[in-house]
Amino acid sequence: MTTPARAARPSGANLFDFADQIAAQAQAAQSLAQATEPAVAQLQLIAFRLDAEEFGLPLATVREVIRVGDITRVPQAPEHIRGVTNLRGRILSVVEIRTRLGLNAAVPGPRSRIIVVEVQHRVVGLLVDSVSQVLKIGVDRVIPAPDEVRSEASDHISGVAHLDQRLIILLDLERMLFAPNRAVPSPS
Amino acid sequence: MDSGNAFGDLTQDYIAECLPLAEAVTDAFLQLERRWREGDAEADSVVELKRTLHTLKGNSAMMGLRPMQIVAHALEDVCARVVADVAARKPEIAALLIEGAGLLVDQIRGAAESPADPVRAEGFVARVAAALAVPTPGSRDVPPAPEPADRAGLRLERRRSERPADAAGGMIRVDFRRLDALLEIFGEAMIEQSALPEVYRRLAARCGSCPEIGELDRVVVALRATMKRLESALMDTRLLPIATVFARFNRLVRDLAQAERKQIRLVTEGGETLLDKAILDRIGEPLLHLLTNAVIHGVESAEERLRQGKPPEATLMLSAAALSDRVMVTVVDDGRGLDTERILAQARALDLDVGGGADAAHGLIFQPGLSTAESVSHVAGRGIGLAAAAAAIHALGGSIEVRSRPSRGVVFTLTLPLTLAILRSLIVEVDQERYAVPLSHVAETVRVEPNTVHAIDGRGVAMWRGSAINVADGGALLGTGATHSAPRNYFVVLFSGPRRRGLLVDRLVGHQDVVVKSLDPSLGRPDVVSGATILGDGRVACILDATGIVAQREVA
Repeated sequence: MTTPARAARPSGANLFDFADQIAAQAQAAQSLAQATEPAVAQLQLIAFRLDAEEFGLPLATVREVIRVGDITRVPQAPEHIRGVTNLRGRILSVVEIRTRLGLNAAVPGPRSRIIVVEVQHRVVGLLVDSVSQVLKIGVDRVIPAPDEVRSEASDHISGVAHLDQRLIILLDLERMLFAPNRAVPSPS
Repeated sequence: MDSGNAFGDLTQDYIAECLPLAEAVTDAFLQLERRWREGDAEADSVVELKRTLHTLKGNSAMMGLRPMQIVAHALEDVCARVVADVAARKPEIAALLIEGAGLLVDQIRGAAESPADPVRAEGFVARVAAALAVPTPGSRDVPPAPEPADRAGLRLERRRSERPADAAGGMIRVDFRRLDALLEIFGEAMIEQSALPEVYRRLAARCGSCPEIGELDRVVVALRATMKRLESALMDTRLLPIATVFARFNRLVRDLAQAERKQIRLVTEGGETLLDKAILDRIGEPLLHLLTNAVIHGVESAEERLRQGKPPEATLMLSAAALSDRVMVTVVDDGRGLDTERILAQARALDLDVGGGADAAHGLIFQPGLSTAESVSHVAGRGIGLAAAAAAIHALGGSIEVRSRPSRGVVFTLTLPLTLAILRSLIVEVDQERYAVPLSHVAETVRVEPNTVHAIDGRGVAMWRGSAINVADGGALLGTGATHSAPRNYFVVLFSGPRRRGLLVDRLVGHQDVVVKSLDPSLGRPDVVSGATILGDGRVACILDATGIVAQREVA
């Protein structure tokens, strides 16, 4: 097994370059492994889009996907919280996942959705541009982000999955939701 | 709902049954101590107390809780001696009884969390044995009667100990979480119902003359009245007498007073006043802070009191009374009072606003800055717990005030809502955002006319009931981000304790009883918002925290 060359430290804005980078590096090693390896465990993901990029979350953390209703802003709430919404009589906090990843705040459109996730016994909603599908991916197709390059915006990425021609960025929800809010450089 | 294991439920039953008994026994021993100290060697109640202890022992044995069992047994022995031997009716023996009963209370209260400490229990039993081994002078020496230890006996005892009301009144025991679930559903019904008047209004506008409109109106009005009745019936099921909280303070004050070498008598009044259990669960801590402060800092030593011509024994009074939709709890001591000068000196050092006379100065003791460890010994004592106590009361939607007279004592007045779940509120609109303002903190709403609100040094000021108050812009304070808006039409005068502040809003939407929902921790801890609610149209509105808003630094 060859060790992939150490990926360069990404700057905050070129998050997607970084994802491409680690994917490319591991691809060779992976195709090699694929030829020899028997059936592997499957990972169920829900895939969604932010701008042109595709992201994935473990299906096990997802409770449901809902349409975007009225979101009420909460004064003095942290920047990455878009507000709260009514989920069948309960108050659901809606996370502005885009600003968390260094993108501009969302402008909800007809395809926008809120993915309701449960992480560490807490239920929050993630505002995404659209939800594409539920996928099964062999765990061998997931390339974990090397620890030494986890930083800045990439801190919220746990790995990258390669599926046919698609590149799916896997998010580390626990870090994204509960890590102290570090300043993410936003594209100027 | 998670179903705890069978043993967990049994433990809860054990606590529910035994804790009140142990607390009652403790209180009775406290009274005995007082009487014996005053030379009245009465012990009529002891026979009954011994029976209660026997029940506690039996119940503990059935649960396999040996530490409680042996403590109860030792206390029974002491009771037996007290009944048989007049000479044993002295304060030292009473102190032993109080200590043991207090230990029982602690053990039972902690039974769900951790196993009781056998070492403490055995230590106590050993001391009882030693005390009883010494025949009291002039003792007629009646050995304690041997205990009937058979299980059947215990069971019979247990049956007998059940309060007659349980059998006669058809009482059932219900897990409080079920009542919470019921309230939650009721809340949803209330939200749905609150959408009706708007639908009715729109329907009436479209087909005003059809006869069904009048019928619908009657139904909507009748439904509202029924929901009100349902609400109060539901609330009644959640009410408990405040005595359940007061009960734990007798021993606490006594122990603390002893440690401080002070003579203090705690008097409670209005223990029958009813409050929502959810509130009762959260006022114990702040009351404890206030009482602790009073014992340690408020009350003088017996010698000093005598020098001042006061009775050597200080009186602490804890009382409760029901107002129309609030409950007032007061904590009164007859100690030295607050040291106004020192408070002011501290406040100036912290750069706090010190205007407004002695009462306003006393209010400063709730400032967190004044409760630094250093100030505890300087600011006439009132220190460490007060800011925390005040914060806890405010978090409940209540208020706390203090009055003090030099060498006469201090009065803390707490005003508490009857329930946490439903809030009478005023809905206001600021830059198209709707907020619920608790009516309990609204002094008045004022229509803004030209020249009502003046800008002085960039801050809004208005004359209100003869004095100048700060008037903050709702949009700026709540961060609506609206850049240019028309002048606001109203300001709402919010108050919390002695502080007041106006809040400029665009529109007063109306009064509404809203169901309080808490905010997720991911939202941080906003100062200006205490929770959220769902309005009739399904949208979420934040509930403004009046206390936080009046305390905010002034904004233009």
